[in-house]
Amino acid sequence: MTVGLSDADLALRIGHGDREAEAEVCRRMAPRIHLYGLRHLRSAPAADDLVQQVLLAMLEALRSGRVRDPNKLAHFVLGTCRMTVAGLRRSARRQERLLAEFGSALVPDQPTAPRLDDAQLARCVQALSERERSVVVLTFYDEQTAAETAAFLDTSESNVRVIRHRALRQLRICMEATS
Amino acid sequence: MTAAGSGHAGCSSPIDEAALMDYWLAILPSADEEAVEEHLLTCDDCGDRLRDAIALAEGLKKLARSGSLHVVVSDEYLKQAARTGQRVREYAAPPGTSVQCTVTLDDDLLVARLAADLSEAARVDLSWCDAQGVELLRMTDIPVRNDAPTVLCQQSITMAKASPSNTLIARLVAVDPEKGERLLGEYAFHHTRTIPGPGALDV
Repeated sequence: MTVGLSDADLALRIGHGDREAEAEVCRRMAPRIHLYGLRHLRSAPAADDLVQQVLLAMLEALRSGRVRDPNKLAHFVLGTCRMTVAGLRRSARRQERLLAEFGSALVPDQPTAPRLDDAQLARCVQALSERERSVVVLTFYDEQTAAETAAFLDTSESNVRVIRHRALRQLRICMEATS
Repeated sequence: MTAAGSGHAGCSSPIDEAALMDYWLAILPSADEEAVEEHLLTCDDCGDRLRDAIALAEGLKKLARSGSLHVVVSDEYLKQAARTGQRVREYAAPPGTSVQCTVTLDDDLLVARLAADLSEAARVDLSWCDAQGVELLRMTDIPVRNDAPTVLCQQSITMAKASPSNTLIARLVAVDPEKGERLLGEYAFHHTRTIPGPGALDV
C-alpha cells in the first residue's frame, strides 16, 4: 500500500524497484506538472507533453539513484520542468516528435477542470464598479500588463493590482452566493 | 493517515488567492514565483485552488472577448482586439452630434468614442438615455484620464444585434459633490437594425 506514504518514501522505494511506488508517484506528480505546464506553455496538449517527458526523466533518475536526497524530489521535478519547458520552447518540432513517440500512455487522468456558469459570471462582472470592470476586462482580455492598465487609469501598477484583487474577491463571493 | 508531501492533507500554509492569480497571470516577482512553484509540486490543495483561479481567469477572458459587457475600455484594448482578428465597429461622436449607426452579424465589438474635455472633471458619469431623455443606465465614476480627448465605451454587441431600430442618448457628466452635475457632452446614436429577423428586444 503506497497511498499513505510521503513522496520521499515513495522515491526511496522506487530506487529498490517498487513498481507500485512508481505508479503512485506518477499519479501524484502528473497533475502538479500539468499545472506547471499550463502556466508556462498556455496549452493543455503541450502541458500533457510536458507531463510525459518529466515523468520519464523522473523515473529514470529515481531508478538509477540519481536523486540523492529523496526529500528533494519536488525540487528535482521542478528543475526538470524548467529545463523541459526551455527545451520545448527552443524546438516545437522536437515537441511534436516526442508526442508522436510517447503518445498518451504516460499521462494519467488529469483532474476535471472546474466549470463556471458563464451567464452568472457575466452578471457578477456587470455588478462590479466601472473601474473594477474595466480593470478586469483589460487584464483578462489579452492579459494586458499592469503597466498598460495603470497608464490607462492614470494610476500606479500597485493600485491596479489592488483594484483587480478586490474585484476578483467580489466575483468569487458573487459566484459562490449564487451557485 | 496522511504524510508530508502526499498531497492528501489539508494545506498548513496555503498560498494566498491573490498570489495564485498573479502566478497565473505571470506577474509575480521571480523569487515569489519560484516559491509558489515549489509549493505547488508538493500540495494538491493549492493545486486545486490554482485550477479554480485558472477557471475564473479563462471565464473572464471568454467573457471579455464576447463583447457583451458594458465597459469603458482603452485604445490599446481596441488595437489588441483588431490584432487578434476581432471586428470592431466603432462610432466616433463629437459633443452635440447625432450618429447613424448599425451592427452586422460579423461584428465582434461595438464601441462609442465620445469626445469631451475631461480636464476639469474629478468624477465622470456616463448616462445612457432613451430618445425621450429617460435614463436607462448610469455608469458611475467611469475610469478616465483627465488628459484624454475621448471616452471609449464598449456597448453590448449581443444586445445591439438583438435590438430593434432605436435612439440612444449618451451623456457624459462631470459630478462634483458640492457643485452638482455639469454636462460635458451629449451624443445621439440612431441605431438602424440591418440584421434580418424580428427586432423583438427593447433596449
